[in-house]
Amino acid sequence: MRLPEQNPLCLLDYLPSAMMVLGAGALWIQGPRLLIPVLVLAGFGSLFSVRRLQAEIRRTSEQRCLLDQQLIQSQKLASIGELSSGIAHEINNPLAIIGQEVEWIRQLVGQAAGSMGPAESEINDSLQEIARQVDRCGEITHKLLDFARKQEPLIQRVDINRLVEDMARLVEREATLHNIRIERNYAEGLPASRTDAPLLRQVVLNILNNATHAIGKDGVITIRTRERDDAGIDIQVSDTGCGIPPENLDKIFDPFFTTKAPGKGTGLGLSICHGIMERLGGCISLESRVGEGTTFTIQLPPVSSRGES
Amino acid sequence: MSIAPKPRVLIVDDEERFRITLGKLLGSRGLEVKTLGSGREALRELETSAYDVVLLDVKMPEMSGVEALAAIKKTYPNLEVIILTGHASVDVAVDIMRLGGYEYLLKPCPLEELIDKIETAWERKRAREERLSRLAGPGGSDRG
Repeated sequence: MRLPEQNPLCLLDYLPSAMMVLGAGALWIQGPRLLIPVLVLAGFGSLFSVRRLQAEIRRTSEQRCLLDQQLIQSQKLASIGELSSGIAHEINNPLAIIGQEVEWIRQLVGQAAGSMGPAESEINDSLQEIARQVDRCGEITHKLLDFARKQEPLIQRVDINRLVEDMARLVEREATLHNIRIERNYAEGLPASRTDAPLLRQVVLNILNNATHAIGKDGVITIRTRERDDAGIDIQVSDTGCGIPPENLDKIFDPFFTTKAPGKGTGLGLSICHGIMERLGGCISLESRVGEGTTFTIQLPPVSSRGES
Repeated sequence: MSIAPKPRVLIVDDEERFRITLGKLLGSRGLEVKTLGSGREALRELETSAYDVVLLDVKMPEMSGVEALAAIKKTYPNLEVIILTGHASVDVAVDIMRLGGYEYLLKPCPLEELIDKIETAWERKRAREERLSRLAGPGGSDRG
């Protein structure tokens, strides 16, 4: 997901051309006795130039490959978003009917209270379970609609360290109960960013929650912020959790992909984060080793490349 | 001016089982309820009977909930309309607010939350009517 840094234009790139020009000048002034040294120098220069060209082609090809991957991921998310929003809409109506019927049966059972014998408590238990499962489905369809919704970001001045710290405190209470320590390593003097604070909070909170779930019990979450060379800002969240197997890395941002137990996660969290970071003009990437942990990097673009509200 | 003890609610939804059961549930809580299956039927009903709050579905054949809302608000500006739909979209929500819809709820919506919204919408309608009747002086009234 992350693109390699662009190399600055190097003076060495001009070396072969400069040598050829100098050689041609020397030949014109000094005559053919300098022909062999000039040709040797030009040969070395060309060889050097070809190697640099090869490296450049390789890097461009890698960049293109990464861009293609990003494009495929975006298109996949967009089409799944459209499809899932349609499904969510169609499911909401029958869900509402099931919920209402449960409520109505409850009222009827309540009116007949005492006359139904031991079956009454069984019926009430079952009704409660149906209502609970309707709520669960409702949560999923509502999240799907959130996922598909294209909310335009509202760009404002944001203190990133402050925003990240607010989210860290939210997670810390729960984390401490499970003996998970949160270490902060915030860059000092980090310039204010321009981004949509509520959307970014959603991403940071999601990543921090995932980190605590990945650790489960006894571990450390390290949060870092730093300014990149291009003046963009990185937020890194590392955990000492179970790590992600290599075969799952490609699927980690796919909607509905989850390794959590049924009912514990919808598999939409990271897809939503990916979509949000795209809308904010940044990206999200990860590195993971099974048994060692995972590091998520949220990359915010430099201020100059961000939209203004 | 007589104040009804409970709001009169008109439920408009093309999903028959939804509107019938919701009608029974709201009725069991003391609300006066009538259910209809289309926006056109609702407009005809409003010509002959007074209601406090209309619950409107968005996706209905012939006349959509948004069109019905526009028509209702044009003739009965004081009538409160709550949109209750399984079809959420930002565009529809913006249209509803622009047309004067009171609330936009996504199905499935907990019954208590819906009743709470109906009560609040009804209070708002009564407050507005009282203000209008004070401004109009004795004998002043407002339809819808």
